[in-house]
Amino acid sequence: MITKNVKIINKHGLHTRPATAFVTLASRFKSDIFLIYNGVRVNAKSILGLLVLAVEPGSTVTVEADGVDEVEAVESLDKLAQNKFNLE
Amino acid sequence: MKKIKGVKISPGIVSGPIFYLERGKISVPGHFIGDEDFDSEFERFNTAVQKSKDELTQVRDLVLDHLDEEHARIIDVQLLAIQDEDMIKAVRELMLREKKNVTWAYFEVMENYEKLLLKTYSQFFKERTSDLKDIKKRVIHHLSYKKDFLLPEIFEPSIIIAEKMSPSDLIHIDHKLTLGIITRYGGVDSHAGILARAFRVPYISNIDVIDELVSCGEIILDADNETILLDFTDDVKDSYKSRIRDFRRHREKIISGKVANSAKDGTPYHIYINAGFVDEVKAMNPALIQGIGLFRTEFLCIERNAIPGEDDQFKAYKEVLERMKGLPVVFRAYDFGRDKLLAMLDIELLRADNLFDEWGGIGFLLDNPAILKTQLRALLRASVYGNTQIMLPLVMFAEEVVLTKNMLEAVKAELKSSGIPFSDNIKLGAMIETSSVLDELDELAKHVDFFSIGTNDLALYLIGSGRTLDLTKNYYHPKIFQAIYKIVKAAKKAGISVNVCGEMASDPYALIGLTALGIRSISVSSAALSAVSKEVSKLDVQKCSELADTILNMDSAQAIYSVLKNFYQDNLE
Repeated sequence: MITKNVKIINKHGLHTRPATAFVTLASRFKSDIFLIYNGVRVNAKSILGLLVLAVEPGSTVTVEADGVDEVEAVESLDKLAQNKFNLE
Repeated sequence: MKKIKGVKISPGIVSGPIFYLERGKISVPGHFIGDEDFDSEFERFNTAVQKSKDELTQVRDLVLDHLDEEHARIIDVQLLAIQDEDMIKAVRELMLREKKNVTWAYFEVMENYEKLLLKTYSQFFKERTSDLKDIKKRVIHHLSYKKDFLLPEIFEPSIIIAEKMSPSDLIHIDHKLTLGIITRYGGVDSHAGILARAFRVPYISNIDVIDELVSCGEIILDADNETILLDFTDDVKDSYKSRIRDFRRHREKIISGKVANSAKDGTPYHIYINAGFVDEVKAMNPALIQGIGLFRTEFLCIERNAIPGEDDQFKAYKEVLERMKGLPVVFRAYDFGRDKLLAMLDIELLRADNLFDEWGGIGFLLDNPAILKTQLRALLRASVYGNTQIMLPLVMFAEEVVLTKNMLEAVKAELKSSGIPFSDNIKLGAMIETSSVLDELDELAKHVDFFSIGTNDLALYLIGSGRTLDLTKNYYHPKIFQAIYKIVKAAKKAGISVNVCGEMASDPYALIGLTALGIRSISVSSAALSAVSKEVSKLDVQKCSELADTILNMDSAQAIYSVLKNFYQDNLE
């Protein structure tokens, strides 16, 4: 299992479209992936879980992955967040 | 006493208590499910999720094809949420733990997500509850044969107050308990408006003081005078009593007598009905009417928030034809104009957008041949159960009719080779409602059996006006009458029939103008039917025709209006 802190730099935080992009990408990996924010841990492949977290802009979340492709998963998700989810 | 003014969407007058329609306040009864039934109950859920996903994928493809990736992405969040693995797991666990039905469990789980969203810090996230409600509605359709989990239950006859009414709200509310409707937003020509008139529910819109009304006891909704009365004395109430009673009687009787089939001077006249729902048709007595001049098939999609499959369509068309016992039924192929498409999608975020203007009509269907082909197959299969006619909406070019006919022939060949029967006597017509088709009427007439004039859109094309604005004043515009005369002449020349199916035909003054120009066949909403029938039976067609030259030579709507109004007052009152 590995973890990585990821900064969310989007204007509105992890709102609908970034969350959609995040879940879509996370779902491509075989590993179990979780997102931890303010002490709450949710399945990163669940859009509903991600939305109710309401991650604020400028905050840091922890991405946790466990499985055969955990390294690749964490790196890709971090890159997606750095690229502002290809939205802005 | 206080009077509030609004805009009339559907006529009538009623009094009663208020029911504030708040979306999402629905409870689903839970009942016991034994272990032995768990698997089949949960399988029902999986199937519902799969079907909802398929529908939404079709919607996404349509949006992607006709708009762009940006808009399709709006749907992606719903697509992901509808099959969210945590949600599905939670539903399963709750069912197992409480030993209860899946619909109950699904609502519990979704409501929990809604509550969590509402607790978030930002409006941005709070508003996502609308997506959750959309999803819930879609899944619930596939879970239940009943429609009663979509809107709050009304317990006594009430006047419904809401911010807005979507067409699907209007379909699903309990009509027996809905006395009237008041909303903040809504237009005369909106589809909710058309439905309210079809169901004869008085409806006033553009009311800004919804909050004030919500706390009222009994109110009087006088849609005829565009007024809402509150805090009134018993004396005031008594003074309205007889009008309210008359309206109730009028609403209760569907059609009092046989619809007129000729005018006063014996000239044959056809009065058909516009309909959009199977339920509406069920209330009609085929012995009293002449047939359905416009069946708006896209309302099936609005009802379902998806394009129904071939079998679902077939069943609906078949039922309509059987109910009409051999009377003509003109099915209009899907007309997904902007407003109807939004009504079908019923997705809040798309609603606010203005990019759907290019959608609609036969052009859209030819661009999406799979949708058109499925509909034609369903119509052909149903055609053996009655007098089926097919009409193409928003025709711009004669070529569109030729292409549709080619597809129709291909579908016939397919059915023939599979041994599926269909009627070989299906009439095909074109809606005349765009300005461009007015230039190729002669060519168009070669390919169809009838023209049907859609006056609402024709007014929009020729004069221009927002669809939600009151169009009545435009009916009298000289350009409209000149266009109608041109269409009548072209039809006569080609020896095909012509009919008017827009709202204009149910306007008593405009009806005189239409008749003067040679119209002898109209199709009106069932709400207008008995009034129109009475007017036609009092109309001297011969005398009316003498107005033709006068109307065609006038250059102002006001002048035409005066002439028609005078004729009405002198001859029909």
